[in-house]
Amino acid sequence: MTAAESTVRYDSDILRRPLITEFQNFWRFRGLIRLLVVRDLTVRYKRSVLGVWWTILNPMLTIGVLWIVFSNFFGRGGALEFGEPYIVYLTAGILIATYFSQGVIAAGSAIVNSRNVLIKMYIPPEIFSLAAGVAAATHFCLSLIPLLLLTAFLGPGIPWTIVLVPIPLALMLMLVTGLGLLVASAAVYFRDVLDITRVLTQLLNYLIPTFWTLDFIAGSPKALVLVKSNPVYSFLVVFRTWVYGGEMPPAWNLIMMAGSAVLALALGVYVFSRNWRRVVVRL
Amino acid sequence: MSNPIEVRDVTLRYRLDKANVGTIKEAALRTIRRQRTVEWIHALDGVSFEVARGEIFGVVGPNGAGKSTLMKIIARVLPPTTGRVIVRGQVAPMIELGSGMNPELTARENIILYGAMLGRDPKHMRERVEPIVEWAGVEDFVDVPTRSYSSGMMGRLAFSVATDIEPEVLVVDEVLSVGDKAFRAKSQARMNQLINGGSAVVVVSHSIEMLKNMATRAMWLDRGRIKMLGDANEVLSGYLTSG
Ligand SMILES: Nc1ncnc2c1ncn2[C@@H]1O[C@H](COP(=O)(O)OP(=O)(O)OP(=O)(O)O)[C@@H](O)[C@H]1O
Ligand SMILES: [Mg+2]
Repeated sequence: MTAAESTVRYDSDILRRPLITEFQNFWRFRGLIRLLVVRDLTVRYKRSVLGVWWTILNPMLTIGVLWIVFSNFFGRGGALEFGEPYIVYLTAGILIATYFSQGVIAAGSAIVNSRNVLIKMYIPPEIFSLAAGVAAATHFCLSLIPLLLLTAFLGPGIPWTIVLVPIPLALMLMLVTGLGLLVASAAVYFRDVLDITRVLTQLLNYLIPTFWTLDFIAGSPKALVLVKSNPVYSFLVVFRTWVYGGEMPPAWNLIMMAGSAVLALALGVYVFSRNWRRVVVRL
Repeated sequence: MSNPIEVRDVTLRYRLDKANVGTIKEAALRTIRRQRTVEWIHALDGVSFEVARGEIFGVVGPNGAGKSTLMKIIARVLPPTTGRVIVRGQVAPMIELGSGMNPELTARENIILYGAMLGRDPKHMRERVEPIVEWAGVEDFVDVPTRSYSSGMMGRLAFSVATDIEPEVLVVDEVLSVGDKAFRAKSQARMNQLINGGSAVVVVSHSIEMLKNMATRAMWLDRGRIKMLGDANEVLSGYLTSG
């Protein structure tokens, strides 16, 4: 008998070490996470005629409509902060807002959608939410291409700070995975949780300056506080500053961005894994 | 030497909502009106047993006795409500085979994904694709979406992936009846090979004939409780004559 044979693989009495076990699992199952992301992308792209182009085209259509409606209103004179044309400003805004709302929804529905697997074999369930978040991040990366083209040809050009963009990208992944996990256990109990989340994330996205500019509400200090206290606002500020501004954003935006990401992920993983025992029998 | 499977005084409760409350709105309304429709189902109640290496442990019982629930507890899918489960070694769960497979993906993609879900290294799975499809007898359909597979072919493929390693613990819930006669003989041979290699096997089946041929020990479950536990022939005969 070898030593491996007698190893305890599973003992229901040994409690997980909260957070540590889950983060170890994220690392241990990284191969599976990659496969799940690839599956997500291939299945989606096989179904659509336009394939991978749809990911790029879809936000572009939204952006096109918003541009037609609002460019005369907000973009007149091109007096935006970094001298960028309105279309560049708008595109950056929509991309961040889309990443956020689609990421939260995808991570939030991943557990219910994996029901078939989760009730038949043991896989740490958080893996599925993280994989859905990574898929949303991949879509975001693809849709960066048109933004970079716009910035290069119409905008202020691409600054060196572009190399810092992976930072908000990774932090946003943490934010959406964490928030998604908070939603995920509730979604097992109630069907309408995901619909409510969809509405709430949309609402949150109107509260950040995607197509509108901050001077639009400059007269109201209360509105300013409301907008600036939204963590997604900080992501947007940092993203715009690094993608085409070529400067360093205010420190408080960086702190808010990193802080909300770490907090959301830790809280999401903690709450989710604490509840899983009760949730799984209702899956 | 400790046994690979130890189940000690395990209880499992399901929560059943008779009103099937599915939305926050309904739940809130019911709370306000103080309508409670929740019921607890004791799917398992004080179940204890052990399975040794090289042993085939058969589990029988009427529909709803708690057999599948017990398999899910051993496979770590469901945590026991009370009691304790200890499993030593790698587990290959065979509960509704193929549920991890996606019909849009090809057999090759599915083998790698399914293997990774069972906790195996994707790199290793890539190398195992050929032997796995060969054993399942679907080598002509490796790179077509499994959407075009018959359910028997799907079951064979999944069985082939699940038993591609030599797991120390094999949990089988009603899956040996998939596939044709030739495949049944083949899968039987593979099971025997695993057992001779020292695996502990738990088999749930309604086919008493098959269990009589395979099992060394057996357990008869009825409404979550052990009705009989011991030598396979005795338990299975007892279950058969109970009508
Ligand atoms: N998800 C669930 N929620 C509530 N009750 C459940 C759930 N799954 C099973 N049950 C109940 O638990 C009991 C045991 O079910 P289980 O599936 O373990 O039975 P079984 O012995 O496998 O039956 P069968 O021979 O039909 O496969 C049944 O009364 C069933 O109604
Ligand atoms: Mg069953």
